[in-house]
Amino acid sequence: MIPAIGLLLGIAAGLMLDVQVPLTLQPYLPIAVVAALDAVFGGVRAVMDGVFDDKVFVVSFIANVLIAAFIVFLGDQLGVGAQLSTAVIVVLGIRIFTNVANIRRHLFHA
Amino acid sequence: MPEPAERRFVPSSPQSGPRRLWKAFTSRPDGGQVVVAVLIGALGFGAVLQVRADEGDQLSQARRSELVQILSDLNQRNGRLEDEVAELQAARRELQSGAQSEEALLEQTAIRARQLAILAGTAPATGPGVVVTIQDPQERVQARHVMGAVQELRVSGAEAIQLEGGNGNVVRIGVDSYFLESDGVLTVDGVAITRPYTLTVIGDPAALNASVLFLGGNKEILEESVVEERDELLVDALREPSRPQYAQPVADEN
Repeated sequence: MIPAIGLLLGIAAGLMLDVQVPLTLQPYLPIAVVAALDAVFGGVRAVMDGVFDDKVFVVSFIANVLIAAFIVFLGDQLGVGAQLSTAVIVVLGIRIFTNVANIRRHLFHA
Repeated sequence: MPEPAERRFVPSSPQSGPRRLWKAFTSRPDGGQVVVAVLIGALGFGAVLQVRADEGDQLSQARRSELVQILSDLNQRNGRLEDEVAELQAARRELQSGAQSEEALLEQTAIRARQLAILAGTAPATGPGVVVTIQDPQERVQARHVMGAVQELRVSGAEAIQLEGGNGNVVRIGVDSYFLESDGVLTVDGVAITRPYTLTVIGDPAALNASVLFLGGNKEILEESVVEERDELLVDALREPSRPQYAQPVADEN
């Protein structure tokens, strides 16, 4: 319940407040968002599997975001930022698909 | 067809997934949920920010190679548009000069038409000239004398002539004017003109005045006429424009 309210509050805050993303953070925000999405879908799946744990979720969420941002940062430093962010997106996308597939099995038993 | 993932997936408790989700959703909140809520809220916030930033400036997200591509595309398009601008400007100049020359031609034609209208007698004219008054109480002046006088005035450069009779009838003398005498009354272009005759003539006053001395070499006119030179005369009797019935303009071959 509270996480759902938190999501709504976050979206509302993003819509209401006119916050400009700092220029230095701009390349990392999309990657961070995708990484966080991965963590969230993993969390939902864990809830359905009955193995959800607050601590694990928090750690995986923060670690996901930081590692994804760090990989992109590293890629930018090495001059392969575009390729590496594509790689990160692909990997996270595959993970999201896997998690969603698990959730789907729970929901539709198929 | 059995799915391998189906066999690998073993629920850790007999409860079904959706029910666990529902239970988690409706269960009494604890401290851990607040942290999760904060993180998910941060996700929503970041996602919305990213979406809104994408709506605005696409270029700030683009990589260098994309920017170079976009720049060269824009340069090409710019060049094409500049060519188009130059073409359209040239066309505009052409049309403008065409319109101007057409306007000038039209003005010249209008001036020429006014001049020709004065000569043809279809437009009123004003200017210096002479007024020749022929009293002729003894009725010695005949139609041929008047015609001779008009010829003489024309030779002396008369540009517009009108003849007014004592009965108030006025006739503008044109190229096809004719002079008749019926029952002792002068008829010009079918209009009866009685004595005294008044000729209003526009042209060089001195030349016209001198010409009256020779008016057709007939002493009747000379003896009966009074000539006044004027600086400003008005010839306002008009002729109907006549359309040539047989003569056609020759096509301009240039």
